This record gives sequence, C-alpha cells and structure tokens, in this order.
Amino acid sequence: MDKDFINENKTIEEIKNTFHSAEAKLQRKNRIIVKLRSDLIPPFLSYAKNYLSFDHLAHFSCVDWIEDNQFELVYILYSYEKNIIAIVKTRIDREKAEFVTVKHLWRQAETFEREFHEMYGINFTGNNRLTEFILEDWDDIPPMRRDFDTMQYSKENFYTRPGREDAQDVREVITKKSGEKIPDFAKEFSVRKLK
Amino acid sequence: MAINLKGIVSPYNALKQIGRKPHTVQYPFQKKEAAQRYRGFHYNDLEECIGCGTCATICQNEAIDMIFIDGFETTSGDSGLRPRVDNGRCCWCALCVDSCPTGSLSLTKDYLHVSDDPDTFLLVPGLDNPEGKENLSWISNGNSLLDYQRIPMPELEGKERVKSFAEVVLGYSEDQARAEAARCVGCGICTDNCPVHMHIPEYINAIARGDDEMAVKIIYDNNPLGETCGKVCTRRCEEICAVSKRGEPIAIRWLKRYATEKAKNKDILKEIVNPTILPPNGHSVGIIGAGPGGLTVGYYLALRGFDVTIYEAKDHAGGMIMYGIPKYRLPIDSIDKQIEYMKSIGVKILFNTKVGKDISFNELKQKHEAIYIGIGFEVPYKLGIKGEDAEGSIQAINFLRAINSEKHVEIGDKVVVVGGGNVAIDAARVSRRLGAEVTILYRRRVEDMPADWEEIEGAEEEGVIIHPQAIPLEIITDENNKVKAIKYANAEMIPDPKGGRPRPKIIEGDEHIIEVTSVIAAIGQEADYSFLPQEVLESIEIKRGRIVVNEYQQTKLPWLFAGGDIANRRADAISAIADGYRAVKGIEMLLLNKEIKNGGRLN
Amino acid sequence: MREKETTLYFGPQHPGITGNMMVKLKVAGDTIVKAETHVGYLHRAFEKLMERRTWMQSFPIVCRICVPEPDPNEENLARAVEEIEGREVPERAKYIRVMVLELSRLAAYFLWMGGQSGTAGLYTVPQWSVGDRDYILDLFEELTGGRIYHMYIWAGGVRRDLPEGFADKVLKTMDYIESRLPEYDKLMFDNAIFQKRAQGIGVIDKDKALEWGVVGPPLRGCGIKHDVRKDEPYEVYDKLDFVVPTYEGGDIWARAMVRRKEMEQSISIIRQVIEKMPGGEYYNKVPTPLNWFVPPGEAYVKTESARGEFGYYVVSDGSLKPRRVHVRGPAYVHGVSLLENILVGANISDVAMIMNSLGVCPPEIER
Repeated sequence: MDKDFINENKTIEEIKNTFHSAEAKLQRKNRIIVKLRSDLIPPFLSYAKNYLSFDHLAHFSCVDWIEDNQFELVYILYSYEKNIIAIVKTRIDREKAEFVTVKHLWRQAETFEREFHEMYGINFTGNNRLTEFILEDWDDIPPMRRDFDTMQYSKENFYTRPGREDAQDVREVITKKSGEKIPDFAKEFSVRKLK
Repeated sequence: MAINLKGIVSPYNALKQIGRKPHTVQYPFQKKEAAQRYRGFHYNDLEECIGCGTCATICQNEAIDMIFIDGFETTSGDSGLRPRVDNGRCCWCALCVDSCPTGSLSLTKDYLHVSDDPDTFLLVPGLDNPEGKENLSWISNGNSLLDYQRIPMPELEGKERVKSFAEVVLGYSEDQARAEAARCVGCGICTDNCPVHMHIPEYINAIARGDDEMAVKIIYDNNPLGETCGKVCTRRCEEICAVSKRGEPIAIRWLKRYATEKAKNKDILKEIVNPTILPPNGHSVGIIGAGPGGLTVGYYLALRGFDVTIYEAKDHAGGMIMYGIPKYRLPIDSIDKQIEYMKSIGVKILFNTKVGKDISFNELKQKHEAIYIGIGFEVPYKLGIKGEDAEGSIQAINFLRAINSEKHVEIGDKVVVVGGGNVAIDAARVSRRLGAEVTILYRRRVEDMPADWEEIEGAEEEGVIIHPQAIPLEIITDENNKVKAIKYANAEMIPDPKGGRPRPKIIEGDEHIIEVTSVIAAIGQEADYSFLPQEVLESIEIKRGRIVVNEYQQTKLPWLFAGGDIANRRADAISAIADGYRAVKGIEMLLLNKEIKNGGRLN
Repeated sequence: MREKETTLYFGPQHPGITGNMMVKLKVAGDTIVKAETHVGYLHRAFEKLMERRTWMQSFPIVCRICVPEPDPNEENLARAVEEIEGREVPERAKYIRVMVLELSRLAAYFLWMGGQSGTAGLYTVPQWSVGDRDYILDLFEELTGGRIYHMYIWAGGVRRDLPEGFADKVLKTMDYIESRLPEYDKLMFDNAIFQKRAQGIGVIDKDKALEWGVVGPPLRGCGIKHDVRKDEPYEVYDKLDFVVPTYEGGDIWARAMVRRKEMEQSISIIRQVIEKMPGGEYYNKVPTPLNWFVPPGEAYVKTESARGEFGYYVVSDGSLKPRRVHVRGPAYVHGVSLLENILVGANISDVAMIMNSLGVCPPEIER
C-alpha cells in the first residue's frame, strides 16, 4: 500500500469491507472512485455520510452514455474531516430513467435532481419538486440527452440573418479547381466537419 | 443601547473627495486607448493570407466565412478566398488569430463600431479596414497554437547507411505519426499541387484519429502506388502546405508511408482497400511498360471491368521505381507487394515482352481497342566530351539499373558523378555504398540543384562531396582506354539579363584534374520510340522528345494514349500516376461512350 | 390576528448586481413566509454547447459562465484537462495563474462591495468600488487583451507571457488598492447603517452549514475554516503564505468581514507571487486544436472562487470534444436551496442584501 495515500486507501478498504460489490479505487491524491450497482446507492450514500464523514455533497452529475443506453449518475462527496473526495458512480437505464432521491441526505440534491429531470428526463422518486427549473415551456426531448441536436433545433426554430450566403468552402473551391473527387467514405474525415 | 458615533460620523469622510480629480475618462472628449494586447476588430494581411480557412474552422461561433474578393483568384497555394468576420457573432476569443498558419490574421486595438445597419457588422478584415495595419494588437507571432516543428523522421546514421543497401528511413512509430498528423489544419491547399490530387487532408485526418486503415483506403482511391509515393514521392504538396508558410510543412509523404506500411502484405492490403471490381465489360486495353503510369492505368481499368494486359520488356514490373530508384529508398519487397496486389485484382502483366521485338505494335493494336504507352525515358544523354566512351565511363541510369538487378559493376574506389538531379544523387549514394569516394560535379550552385534537398543532405551526411559550379571538359584515359582522371573547369554565375536563372560561365584557366576510377554521367535521358510503326509516328505529334497529348492523355490517334516521362516534363512517379489516372478517364470515355464525336477525339 | 399572505415577484431585474433571476416570495406583511427561486433567464446551454465543440473551443465558453469572476472557470477546465491528459504546467504559468485568480478575486470583491452596499442604500460605495475595480480590469486588459472575458488560462499554461513592466504595474495597483481599503472601511464597514442592516440578518445555522453545502465566505462566516486553497492546494498556493480569515455569526456582517479580510490576503498573495515568480516557459503547448484528442478519463477539480468552491466535473471519451463538462458554481447551492431556506422569516427589504451576501449568481446556476 502506498504510504502517501494512507487515508485514501483506508477509506477504500472500509468501503470494500462494507459493500463487497463496490469497485473502489484510488484515482489520485485526495480522490477515490467508487462504482456501485444502482440499488446500492441509497444505502451507500447514507453510510458514506454517516459513517465515513462524507458530509458535503460537492457535486452531483449525470453523463449520457447513449451508446450503452445508460445514464451515469455521479455523486461527488467530500469529507472535510478526511479531506478526500469520493466520486461515486452508478449507471441506470436510459430508456426507463428512474432513480430515487437523496434529498433527505443533502438538501441541495433536490436542485440537482430537478435539473436532471429537466435536462435528461430522469425521474427521481421521492422528490416532489420535479418542476420546471431552468427551461420554460420546453416541448422537445430533454435537451442534455446526446440525441438532442442543438444545430438542428436552432435551424428549425430560428432563422439566419441573410447576407452571408456567399460563403465558400475552401476544400470545395480547391477540388473544383483541381477536379479532385472526394469519395463518400472519405468525406467524414474532412476537418471542415468539426461543427 | 449605545449610540454608534463612529459609525455615524465616519461615512462623512467621503466628503473629502470633493474637488479631487475624477477617475473617470471624459468620453467623448477624451478617449481611452486600448492596451497593447487588446482584442479588438480583426485585421488580415490579404497578401500574406492564403485562404486556408483555418480561422473559419476554429471559430466556434461560426462568425467567419470564406468569400471571394476582387483581386484574388484560386491559384496553386492560395484558395483565393479571404475571411469575412461577422462582428455580430464574434466573441473576440482570438482562436482564429492563434491558429492562423500564415500569421496574416491579427486583432487590432479598434473596438468601436456604432451603426443601425446590421450589414455593416460584416467586415472583411484588411479590405474594409486597411488602416488596421497600423493598429495591430493581438498577433500570433511566437504564440501560435499550431505546431510548426515537424516530428523528425528516424533515420539510419550516415556512417551506418553506407555499409549496406538497407532502407535509410526507418518510418514513424504510431505515436509519432499521430503527432505529426495532428499538426495538419486540414485545409486541402496542398491537394492542388499534387498531380494526382490525392485526398491529403482526409487521409491525414484519418491517421490523426487513429484510423490507419481508412487512411490506406483513402490513399488507394486515386493512387495505386501509395506505398511507393510514401517513400519516394517528390511531394510537391509539401511545397505549398499552409503550415510551411511559417514552419516546416506537414510530413505528408512520411504519413502516407506510415499508413500504407500498415498493410503488411497484399492480402491485408486487399482486405483494407476492399475495392469494388465491376464485372467484365468486354473491352480490352493494352499497356506498354509496367512503370507507375502503366500500372495505374492497369489498376483502375481492371477495377472498372476492362480486360487489361501490360507488356513489360524487363523481368520485373515498376519501371523507373524498380530500376532507377536505389533500394535503400524503395526496397524491392515493397514494390513486389504492390504489384502482387494489382495482379490479385485482375491486372495481367507479360514480362520479358518487349514491344517491337517480342511482339509487334500492330499485333497489339489488333488485340486491343486502346493502347497506353508508358515507356519512360530509358536512353541516357551523353556528356559530349572527349573520352566518354572509355571503360569506366558509365551512364547513371544503366548503373542504377544494373545495381538494382543485383549485378556487379566495377567502379573502383574514386568516383565522379556529373549532374545535379535526383538520378545523380542516387548514383552518388549508391557508389558510396559500393565503397567508393564520391564527388559530384554540378554546373550551377547547390541551391540550383533539381534534386530534393533531403536527398542532397542525405548524400552529404554519407560523405559525398558536392562540387558546384564545375563543368567537365574531358575524361582522361590511360593507354588501355580506361578512365584515369577527369578534367573540369570552375564556373562563375552570370546573371541572366532577361531575369532568368543565372548561367554558369567557365572561368578561363581555372581548370583542374581529379584522378578517378570511374565517371558516372547523370545529365538526363530520352525516350526510344523506334518500336512505333512509321504510320503511327507520322500520325502523332512528338515535340522535343515528348508525345503531345490532350487532357485525357490522348494522342492525335484516338485509340492511342501516352503518359509519364514521354508526355510530361516533371519526370517523377506521381506525375506518371496522374497521367495514368487521366488516361483511365479518357479510355473509359472512349470505349464506354456509345456516341463518339470527332472520330474519337475527346474534347 | 394572522396577516393575509401575498405573493411577491422579486426580480427578474437585477436585485443588486447579481444577474437576472426571480424569487417568488409569499409574504405576510413584511415577513417572508416562503421563497421559491426561479432561474432560467440566463440559460445559454454552455454545457450542451461544449459537447459540440473541441476542447480548445470550450475555453472561450466557460469564462462566460460568470461575469464578475471568469477566471476560476478557465482555471477549472484547464486543470481538469491537464489532469486527464497528465499534462505538465510550467512553474511560471502556475504563478501567473495564481496572480490572475487573486486579481479576479479582488475584482469580484469590489463588485460585491458595490452590490452589497448598494442594496443597503449606500450609493457612494458602488461608484467607488466599480471605479477601483476598473484599475484591476486595466491590468487584465493589458495582460490578456480583454477586460471581462480573459480567455487567458488554458490547458498547458497561460496564453501569453506577462508584458514588459507588468509586474510593476500590478504592484502599483496593489498599493493603490491597499490605500483605498481604509476609505471603504469608513464608508461601508464602519457605517452604522450598514452594520444595522447586516448584523443578525440572513443567519446560516452553523451546525447545518456543512451539510447544506455552504462554501466560501458564507461558510467561513460561520466560523468554519475551510478553503480549497488550503484543503487541496492547487497551482502554487502551498508555497505562499496566507491565512484563511473566519468570522463568527453566520450573518451578512460576518460574511462581509470575511471578504474584507480576504482582500488583504489577496493583495499579500499577489505581492508574494510577483516576488517569487520564476522565469522560463509559460505554456506547454497542446496539439493543434483541430486535432487535439484528450484521452478517456474523468476529473473533478475545484477552485476557491470569490464566492466559494467552484467545481468542474469533466469527462473525456477520448474524442476531439468533451463528453461532459459539468459546472458546479457555489451559487448553485447558495442561490436555490440555501436562499429559499434562509429567506424565510426575513424582511422584504433584506432579500437583496441576503442574495448579495451569499454571492448568488444566476448565470452559474443555469449556465
């Protein structure tokens, strides 16, 4: 065991002893990552807060892993006593996006859950305030889902001010001069497609 | 409760400020000058700009358009476009400035624009605000986000190299290739200078993204000898690379080499390229010469369902790339792999079949509906000085051919090579590997040498002595008519009154003699058209040794196409490949288009 | 007799330089019975936009999350990317970053002084403090080319080196600011009106402060000594000598005093930084931004901003663009759950005071 990370490793040990299925590892100094089954999250968070002194919910995040058809919920807990941040992660189903609230543990979780309800369409049972938060009269799919296309939305809902139609594509201008024909399979490798 | 006297009195201290000089600027009577680095409106040096559009690509607000403006046209190395900034969208992050390859784009200290006409917020920097030049503030000089330093290519050391014919260039590792590819801004300016117009930004981007196989597929889309070009191309693309304006160009050739070498053998290559081969269309085409041009014609016609046969006089395909380029630059395994791959998709090659000797041209004409000639320049020019026919006076092209055929050539231990092109350098470097001391005599200055600078450097590293401004006068022989020494005169450069390049003029009396065991002449070659029947020779046009062709490489005879050295002046593989690629289009039009106008003349 | 409850919509105009946001109040007479935060007026979907932009293109975006203090955002994104990539930052760049961060803290405190005293009805202080803040903005303009959005700190270091003679100018400005602080004391902190309006108002329960997620000056105003610069020193804070001021009481006054003392600490830090700043490189170049792939990984980084712990959770999937950049500004907690809680029982006239003292900044709630 690395003697530089005594606190971190001790916490990891404690976590593993209590939650056998938890994947806990050291990320770097002051950071540990804990991966858990989603049904173990409520007991784990309660345990982390009450027994491991992770009393500060520093951050609560959600990542859309659309290719796995999952949302990743990331609770970032901080222990003022241990000076360690625990990044607690779990994955939930993206189609039937439902989870339980943790607002009874940290009141600010309510705000995060409201945001994820609005931005990702996740329903947090037990949170009775999943009302409109940032958006107003939103009628499309939850916008932070990766399949929501901002460019398309903006094209459909806003108009472009005229006056810039004469813009040219550099690659096209050069191929036009040289007669080069870019095959279809190569087109997606054109850097111009950054946006 | 006590009265907070201090708290009541102390705020009146503010009254002390009455009558003091205010801190504010009395706008509009007084103007505040922006800081030296202020990020205000854009300015673009229109002459420096090459219209690569990197500014437009990096702009995260889509505030920059590339547009045509008066006075600039699409030329080689310049798209002719110039950026126009929509100041209604710009956020003045200056990413465009920091990633401008040429450094033409800057920001200025000007930041005020008031108008009720939204159109006036569109600004063509440099054109609409020429006065901005005096006011530059945010410039990228020394702070560019681009990487102007090329990843150096690992090579054998000079001392190691001369010991064998092992390939000098060792090739990029995966990390090196990714890093080098990442330097590319993907503008595509380079593609215009490539005779074939390869899809350079696309395959480099594929390498940058880690998709090497896609890179190979993209390369083979219009170049069937990608690996050869990856090793020995004259890479005219790199000359106009946008990054080369302020730094070292992207190593386009080495990246192509990296990608194509990923396909270790012909089967892997075939699997990666996975070309669509059309069913036979019943048309037959004959190709004379299995050089790069002939192979290109063969490859793409075979893919398009033509029945193609290549007639090759020698026992190995490749032409100049096989016999003219030394093996330390292009190993034979690499050539074999590419030829085997072509055969596997249906290209037929008849070796040891010299047209005019083993088979007559007329016989060919009866067998095929169209013929492509790609015989190259095989007959060397002579020096035209005394003693040239002596034993030990060799022609570079014959010398290289013999060495590449693994034949022994006796050159002794002291060699002089005459000439300054790539063939001369090749002959010199090969001679070094045979253990000789080598001096190159060249008429003009080193900077005038037509050879690649990398080749010249490579030769010097290997201990070749380059003697510029030296004109051979005579080869001195011994009693057995064997080369003993060479006499040459030093020359001075006389400026051309017409503004052309300076000419060498012999300095009278400044003559020297070097003792040598052999002299290798490398001053150029020409073609041998003797296999063509008289009536064909009469119908086509030959100008200064080259066959005149149209944009489809078609000669005056509609069914006869020609390309490579015999049709273009560039004398490199990539131009021959380009000719081949154009001829493919021509032959396709000629044979598949049912309505042939002008008696078969295309255009 | 029970008073009739009325609904009062507070905002969305700026209630004292905080940014557009609305608090829906249920009042009985002058007393607030219930408060509900309504944000959304400044939602620019930055986190979504960054999913469509390359890593380098994200830097000009994140600074816009907070107008008074953009630099902690740049710092966080830069440090997160550096952590994922394992990229080294030159020592000089670290010192420059600390200087920028402390300058921006000072600038933010000046703006806060203006807002805080303005909401208490002292209108001279805002005139002064916004003017004095401009001297810091002048420094930023010279260093970064922009007064508000600096786009200066980015992955690998900082964008440009210090201009010639810049250090002297910073020291001169620090001397000037230091000389001005007693004037502000007389006008604001010693002011009986301000003291009356601040003491005992907007009290945060000390026992609950940690649990509620209170950070920054509001936390230290409860007498709890926590500061990211000390807990998890980033850049070169561990090589600098400074103290973390705390104050007991948990009210507006305590928070004001914490900030007032921190200004002196910031001035001292800036002086130390300039003294200790080594020469050498200021930027460890990243690949060409068009082809800059950040390896897969995640990082949670935090920076002590003028309003408290500013956290970024950044995920890379190995592509050209960030998978997720999730911003957690201190106001996300202070401005919603905390504000709604401590407004109950306060007077209507104290709402803006309380919002200001908590550092409520709607643009970072909704990004």
